[in-house]
Amino acid sequence: MSGIRLPIELAAASFVAFAAILVLPHVLELFALINATVYVSLAVLALSLALVWGFGGILCFGQAAFFGLGGYSYAVAAINFGDTTYAVPVAIGVPALVAAALGYVMFYGRISDVYMGAITLTLTLILFNFVNSTAGDQWRVGAAPLGGFNGIPSTPPLNLPGDPGNPLPPEWIFAIAVVSLLICYILAKLILRARFGRVIVAIRENERRAELLGYDVRAYKLGIFVIGGAMAGLSGLLFANCVFVSPTMFSLFYSGQIIIWVMVGGLGTLVGPVIGAILLNLLTTWAGTLPEINPSLILGAILVLAVLVMPRGMLPSLATMLGRFRVAGGVT
Amino acid sequence: MTALLATEHLTMRFGGVLAVDDVSLAVADGELRCLIGPNGAGKSTLFKCLTGQIKPSAGRILWRGQDITGLDSFEIARLGVGIKTQVPSLFDGLTVLESVRLALRRQARERAARAQALATLERLGIVELAPRLVALLAHGQRQLVELAMVVAPEPDLIILDEPTAGMSAEETTRAARVIRALNAAHAIIVVEHDMQFIRAIAKTVTVLHQGRVLVEDDVASVLADRRVQDVYLGKADASPRMVA
Ligand SMILES: Nc1ncnc2c1ncn2[C@@H]1O[C@H](COP(=O)(O)OP(=O)(O)O)[C@@H](O)[C@H]1O
Ligand SMILES: [Mg+2]
Repeated sequence: MSGIRLPIELAAASFVAFAAILVLPHVLELFALINATVYVSLAVLALSLALVWGFGGILCFGQAAFFGLGGYSYAVAAINFGDTTYAVPVAIGVPALVAAALGYVMFYGRISDVYMGAITLTLTLILFNFVNSTAGDQWRVGAAPLGGFNGIPSTPPLNLPGDPGNPLPPEWIFAIAVVSLLICYILAKLILRARFGRVIVAIRENERRAELLGYDVRAYKLGIFVIGGAMAGLSGLLFANCVFVSPTMFSLFYSGQIIIWVMVGGLGTLVGPVIGAILLNLLTTWAGTLPEINPSLILGAILVLAVLVMPRGMLPSLATMLGRFRVAGGVT
Repeated sequence: MTALLATEHLTMRFGGVLAVDDVSLAVADGELRCLIGPNGAGKSTLFKCLTGQIKPSAGRILWRGQDITGLDSFEIARLGVGIKTQVPSLFDGLTVLESVRLALRRQARERAARAQALATLERLGIVELAPRLVALLAHGQRQLVELAMVVAPEPDLIILDEPTAGMSAEETTRAARVIRALNAAHAIIVVEHDMQFIRAIAKTVTVLHQGRVLVEDDVASVLADRRVQDVYLGKADASPRMVA
């Protein structure tokens, strides 16, 4: 890979991000802007699985667990502190810690891939059922009631550090979400380019060979899993800022959707899953407005079509097509 | 003098099967040792024990006199052991250069690592493959790329499992030459069952049979040994020993 490509990619991503921040709040109505913020937060979630699955080779069905944990940790901490400043590190730290503990058991216990899928899925289901059953008043963490299936409707929006009296308006939240997505993207790019990321990809390619070369595969997998957990936590925080936290964050609906976004966008790419998440959410929302059509049906049809037409996902297929055009253009 | 790698009463049981049975052997620094035996003799099992892929049921493995029994593969690799598996184990999605660069785990400086990786490819005569994707290489090239990954970090010992599997007679002789050349810089243990190859290597041979060491001697004596002939011609009972 040439040295010039990375700066160009990062500059392009930054340009798109800042254009979105400058333009969208002026052209979108409030409701649409909040929806856009939701999509961006879910794009961060897609990015986290793109790293863990697409590059780390770890098929994690539990990314929604870290997403939900991030949201709930944020809400609980913000309510208790009366200020969101320190709720942010809590929202990222708690899922990262849970990912570290779970990852330690899975990778150091040398659990096979199939069981790994089952374990991560089970964790999500357990959390979903647990949070759903916290309806009574006895279920509270400090000042924050967990609220059972109702969630925590009083989830406070972010405020500027040390200024809890002034919650930020939706335009700000949107900008923060976009910048967060940009930072996560740049971070992911840098991680993959660094030695750590190259070893991660090598492990995905051939775990045993990496081990025979002296790499402690367990430590690398744990590392990428924790990074993915932290990123999913951040996406939960952003999501909590547009809606409010509720048990659906832990639901199979999300666990399944994330995998579809990454698959349709392109496994083994970063931009693909981000675009996949945003496009498929736009589509689901639009399908929801159509009378007498089940949006899930449309999503299902899209998935089947995508897998048939672009088995490697949207981005790699597009790249191949463009490549062909370029070659054809060179000949004529 | 302490051996580079030694086993003491090494035993590996699979249920009732004694795949490796009380094997004690010692390989010196700089040595080239062949480990042979008919199918089912326990060669692959011994290879897996030595490379940390399975943990022996009993006995010890020593590295320069230090007990390393039960270490993981990556820890054994870090001691300075290069391991080549029977079926080439490669990073299909990476380029040849990137693969060899990854083998230089301890070289953190990128520029130096690339130079060293290229030098290794040069030494094996495949430097022109550097930018190629590993998945697209021919079988023989894949073998050489794996060899490049194994020798790049300059290991003290290289362990090869059946390097001539699937090779023609001519390729086998060539492989023997390459391995002898490598021996100038590294101690080598070759697990094999091809007699042609053993003849071409012409070094100390350890013959395994039913999980045990049957003979250990120079190649001429081993080939002349009646027991070895019986084992290879199938006169002796080749079925593995069972636990009483
Ligand atoms: N994982 C295993 N489980 C049970 N038996 C095994 C296993 N691996 C090897 N064996 C048995 O151990 C004996 C030695 O096998 P192996 O080490 O593969 O011999 P070789 O490589 O010399 O052909 C054989 O009888 C084989 O069936
Ligand atoms: Mg074998």
